Amino acid sequence: MAVKTVDYIYGLYNDEEILLDAVRTANAEHLEIGEVYSPFPVHGLDPLLGLEESRLHIAGFVYGGLGTLTAFLGMTWIFTKDWPIIFGGKPYWSVPAFIPITFELTVLFAAIGMVVSFYIVCGLGPGVKEKTLDDRITDDKFCIAFNKSEVNIDAVNAFFKNTGAEEVNSKSL
Amino acid sequence: MGATHIQARIENFEFTGKLKMSLAIMMGIGILSLGWTWFVDDASHTRFWTNLLHNATFVTGIAFTALFFLCVCITAWAGWVTLFKRLWEAMSMFLLPALVLMTGFALCIYFNVGHNTLYHWADAGSVETDTILNGKSSFLNKNWYLFGTIIIVGVWMLFAKKIRSLSLDEDANGDSDFEHHHSLRRWAPAFLPFAGFSSAAIIWQWIMSLDAHWYSTMFAWYSGASWFVSMIATTILILMYLKSKGYYQQVSSEHIHDLGKFLFAFSIFWTYLWFSQFMLIWYANIGEETGYFKLRMDEYPILFWGNLLINFILPFFVLMRNDTKRKAGSLIFVAIMIIFGHWLDFFLMIKPGALHTFHELGAGHGDHGAVAHAHEALTGFHLPGFLEIGTFIGFIGLFLFVFFSALSRAPLTPKNDPYLQESLHHHV
Repeated sequence: MAVKTVDYIYGLYNDEEILLDAVRTANAEHLEIGEVYSPFPVHGLDPLLGLEESRLHIAGFVYGGLGTLTAFLGMTWIFTKDWPIIFGGKPYWSVPAFIPITFELTVLFAAIGMVVSFYIVCGLGPGVKEKTLDDRITDDKFCIAFNKSEVNIDAVNAFFKNTGAEEVNSKSL
Repeated sequence: MGATHIQARIENFEFTGKLKMSLAIMMGIGILSLGWTWFVDDASHTRFWTNLLHNATFVTGIAFTALFFLCVCITAWAGWVTLFKRLWEAMSMFLLPALVLMTGFALCIYFNVGHNTLYHWADAGSVETDTILNGKSSFLNKNWYLFGTIIIVGVWMLFAKKIRSLSLDEDANGDSDFEHHHSLRRWAPAFLPFAGFSSAAIIWQWIMSLDAHWYSTMFAWYSGASWFVSMIATTILILMYLKSKGYYQQVSSEHIHDLGKFLFAFSIFWTYLWFSQFMLIWYANIGEETGYFKLRMDEYPILFWGNLLINFILPFFVLMRNDTKRKAGSLIFVAIMIIFGHWLDFFLMIKPGALHTFHELGAGHGDHGAVAHAHEALTGFHLPGFLEIGTFIGFIGLFLFVFFSALSRAPLTPKNDPYLQESLHHHV
């Protein structure tokens, strides 16, 4: 896939509280933030960036429901039509005995479905190489990146200086 | 950290005359209902005794689980509850009236007041001839019933008093050494193992032994989970009420959200235990075990299936989403349904066994001509009637009266608790 590269200018911060303050300042100064990277989810960051609530959990509910139906209808078909066997004098259609397996398949479908959806949405997967702006954002640094074509570089440099960025770099991704 | 210091609002709850009046009226309704029940009852006053036991154990359990959860939070360094932990301290103060109530009840069993036939094991003639009752008689006997009730609820009450007094003393004398907190961190974990074992034993003797020939190792957990969910629902309703009266303005939707999660999670936990108990017995299909469920499924189908509908299906689907745990409307609706639902759950644990025992003992004595036949639906047994609802209202009134008077005697927020700032900054 040939993706057009974007020129980024980015600053690194030491602490999530400083990052949050910086994002607030950027909002106040109407600087359009390209991306924010952090090694872990930062509380209160999503509303500041104006991100929409993820719809992953709705997908999870649907996958879970599919798991419920698969398990329950599957067992119903197997034990009443396909291969009826009497276990311990119980009826063929023994609902209480189906419940644990139905539960397990619900959880399994929801979990695997959500992981796969998440990977597809994020373009991740086994063997996929993701480029990062800076490897330290996967460790202990918090990063605000601006798309150079969208912002005034001088204003951004001043912004990084004022908000306490440790380092300012540029990179194309 | 850049987090700022938030000034906690320290305020006192005012127990107004109007509220006292409403609660007194509720208690009046309860006393009237109980009295009325006595006179319309059968010869052994089974409906009266079961109503008393049903409601007394239900509110006692709410007070106990409040203390239990408070101790869990202290032990687990859970700071988010600090802002409103006085609610649980005040709820646990109900353990004193609970001790009086349950001891009084145990005395009535001890002296066989009103010739009640509540517990089959309390009938000396049956124990002699019945191998199963005889085998259980070292635990199920009148002496232990009375003694165990006093000891267990008494110790609960002493722990409640100790933990509350430490917390109140911290308000007055707490400093940056946090001696009170360290002391709480010793008392709370000491309570947990005692609470775990003793609550199981007390549930066996108060409730499970109504079906004296039957037993289930899941039963204590299952009814304990019922208590716990009801306690969380009660906490949510009381918090919402106090917030509407202008108190606890610093308790935000973040705290409410977490309480909602507990309501959701422990409703599922209750269902898990309910189902585990049911499925193992259904699967093994041993007559002496299945009797419990056969009786309830055949003769109490509305309660039996309604129980699962109210206490599992409803909270599961309503509280699954994030926003329904944060919005007052949906949360209050579910909390009310859950309290009622678990009250019905206790109804279903208590009534069938007691009615069955009455039929067995009554038939033996031959002096209960007016006894209805087993398959005839009886108000007050197969479904709660107005007298049951009235008794429940009375007990809610009593519980809230004790609770609000305890709450009004101390500030609503512990100002010197080391976790107060964490609670004020709580963010889900």
